[in-house]
Amino acid sequence: MENWRRAWKRALSRYDLYLMLLLPVAWYVVFQYGPMYGVQIAFRDYIPVKGITGSDWVGFDNFDRFFSSYYFGRLLWNTVSISLLSLLIAFPIPILLALLVTEIRSQRFKKLLQNITYMPHFISVVVIVGMLQLFLDPKSGFVNLILNAFGFESVPFMESEGWFKTILVGSNIWQNMGWASIIYIAALSGINPHLYEAAMVDGASRLRRLWHISLPGITPIMIIMLILDVGAFMNVGFEKILLMQNDLNRGASDVIQTFIYNNGILQGDFSYSAAVGLFNSAINFTLLVLINGYARRKAETSLW
Amino acid sequence: MTNWKKKTGYLLSVLMLASAVTACSSGSDKEETSAGTSPSQAGTTETSDSDSNASNASASGFPIVQEPIKLKMFAQKSPPNGPYEDMLVFQEYEKLTNIDVEWEDVPTEGFVERKNLLFASNELPDALFKAGITQLEAVKYGSSGMLIPLEDLINQYAPNLKGLLEQYPEIKSSITAPDGHIYALPAIVTLGSGRTDKFWINQTWLNKLGLKAPETTDELLNVLRAFRDNDPNGNGEKDEIPLSARRKDKDIVGNSIINQFIGSWGLDQQMGYDLNINNDKVDIWFDNPEFKELLQFVNQLYTENLLDHEVFTQTEAQYIAKMGSGNLGFFANQANDPFTSKKDDYVGIAPVAGPNGDRKAFGKPVARDFGAFAITSVNKNPEATIRWIDYFYGDEGSIFFRYGIEGQTYNLQSDGKPEYTDEILTDSRGTGTTIGQFSPWPGGGAPHLISELNSSAINPKEVQAAQEALEPYLPKEIYGAPIFDEKTSKEVNTLRQDIDIYVLENSSKFITGALSFDKWDDYVKTLEKMNLGQLEKIYQEAYDKNK
Repeated sequence: MENWRRAWKRALSRYDLYLMLLLPVAWYVVFQYGPMYGVQIAFRDYIPVKGITGSDWVGFDNFDRFFSSYYFGRLLWNTVSISLLSLLIAFPIPILLALLVTEIRSQRFKKLLQNITYMPHFISVVVIVGMLQLFLDPKSGFVNLILNAFGFESVPFMESEGWFKTILVGSNIWQNMGWASIIYIAALSGINPHLYEAAMVDGASRLRRLWHISLPGITPIMIIMLILDVGAFMNVGFEKILLMQNDLNRGASDVIQTFIYNNGILQGDFSYSAAVGLFNSAINFTLLVLINGYARRKAETSLW
Repeated sequence: MTNWKKKTGYLLSVLMLASAVTACSSGSDKEETSAGTSPSQAGTTETSDSDSNASNASASGFPIVQEPIKLKMFAQKSPPNGPYEDMLVFQEYEKLTNIDVEWEDVPTEGFVERKNLLFASNELPDALFKAGITQLEAVKYGSSGMLIPLEDLINQYAPNLKGLLEQYPEIKSSITAPDGHIYALPAIVTLGSGRTDKFWINQTWLNKLGLKAPETTDELLNVLRAFRDNDPNGNGEKDEIPLSARRKDKDIVGNSIINQFIGSWGLDQQMGYDLNINNDKVDIWFDNPEFKELLQFVNQLYTENLLDHEVFTQTEAQYIAKMGSGNLGFFANQANDPFTSKKDDYVGIAPVAGPNGDRKAFGKPVARDFGAFAITSVNKNPEATIRWIDYFYGDEGSIFFRYGIEGQTYNLQSDGKPEYTDEILTDSRGTGTTIGQFSPWPGGGAPHLISELNSSAINPKEVQAAQEALEPYLPKEIYGAPIFDEKTSKEVNTLRQDIDIYVLENSSKFITGALSFDKWDDYVKTLEKMNLGQLEKIYQEAYDKNK
């Protein structure tokens, strides 16, 4: 009680700072929490004329329909496996790149490498998918031309289930590793150079310095990034997948988000897709809480 | 000084907060009013509203309204269309009718998305034009009062439409919802060749190789092999594409490469779906052995490199370019307008006979494109609006709609039928795009009448000949897609969401060989599990009801 009163007093004496906080809070309430009342259409049979609050309640019907859908298992598997692949492969690569970049001595080469690796980040998804289609075309794509030159048969990369996830995750890594490495490079440059000098005096090799100074130095950042990534676990790059999707690779490319788009937006089945979307978000939220708790206990770094 | 700063900061934050709060509350006010109005209330206010305005709309003749009015219409802009507000046809029509239409034209890509969001947010225009409203949408939004019933308006104010409905009773049954109301108007196509896909074969190549047009699937195989191997275009390279097809898109039932050959296995498309009607029995043929044989045939075409391997990925633009290149051997398309410069190379042939002697073609019903036009509940002038659209369903109005102004964009020929001016026909952009700058019909799905009188562009003599070749093989009756009541609609939708994707995906895999035909029994069993039988039953009931 006493604590509260003291806190209140302190806040009052700095009321101008708290007034400034008011705006962002209002923004969150109005634009982030406010619209959440619309989530209830997942439990209703939404009819636009009746409005969100006027439509009839249907309980868990929409969820039942999704869970008993023939495609439920496949959607879940594709979503989870694409996320896992991204997390396992795409997560460590920017870290390695950042370590690599900071170890380069030649400033010019360093700048060149950084520029080259950032560049793809600025290409739009549509263009990237167009490039993939051109490069991987069975008849005229250069990848297949090279394969042919070595006597292999053309592979219809974009039209096969087996290749879909490799292409998706691979091109994501290519596009984003440079950009994602920036934050690690920044963290690395924040490490006290005296530590390195002391290690050098003690005769530590480059690898030793990397292992004992650089990596521990950026571990907190790594954990925060991991938590953020896990919090968006079920959100696989939806636009790109939709653009790459065709009837032949659908078995591997049908994910929860494309399913929501196809059924909700294109067929006007809003309640159903709200239910599916809510399911997706619930998983994300659960994972976020779990990994955050784990990180707090094990690594003593966490979002909250 | 600091005090001044503090005060300004305080004021600023309060102001911004206040504006945020008002924005929010005005939004929720609107929500409440729309939620508070029940559909029946909306309906009654509408009629009283329109009664008070009825005096403004004259019952016949032009102008439609004495006092100029404004209508907001939401329209689909197909690839060949220019901006609607710049279209000569609509500019002239405004002068004639005194009705100023404010267009919101949305490109085809993303149109469905926008249309659904429009309904979901209940921010309605006065009318929807070339909107491709589905049967489910018509029932859903019609019964909830967002779209208004049109049958009384048609009877009173739309003589052209009324006449067509009397002349072709099947139109009425295919656009009337189970509750007895008509919520959306179709594009009406009385021209036979406007309802079929023709089979075009490269006659120049056939002549060069000394072959005759194929009559059976076996002969077709040989012809296509010769196209592949014998360099009919004479450039010394094996770059000919013997056979190609549209990629499946939303408007096509089934997979278009499959559609090209369904008739050769006795399969049909009735009721807007992949089903046969044999002696009053509805049969969805996804699990039929004939369909398996058909897929095996297409699989053979694919593995022998006779079928274009881009058939599952190419865009519409790529396909049109292929047709226009003259480097295609055999394909299906409604008319020859995408390849006008090569039209002398191609002739339309009859469907080829399959191994069991089946030889059929399929076509679309007279009410070809469902849901092309609808009037919403916010429209204060439904009488004027229905009169506005009805003109395009008459002979005079549909010629105006498709051809523009005599002497400027078209001339009458000796047989009394209109033909576009030479500048339009020889424009380097292609006729479709050129016409699309002054009329919305190119791209398809526009609410109007397509008859023999107004179709020189899509019905030149080559197309007429191709249609004649098809004619003997067309089914006697073509049933339009049924309109289910809302509950059944939902059930159909749930069933079809699973089944359609499953069939599409697996037939594609059977064709490319990604799935072996040993798995056919599993495929049939899965279809059973997805309750194909129930879907068939629903269609059977709909058929029995309309018979």
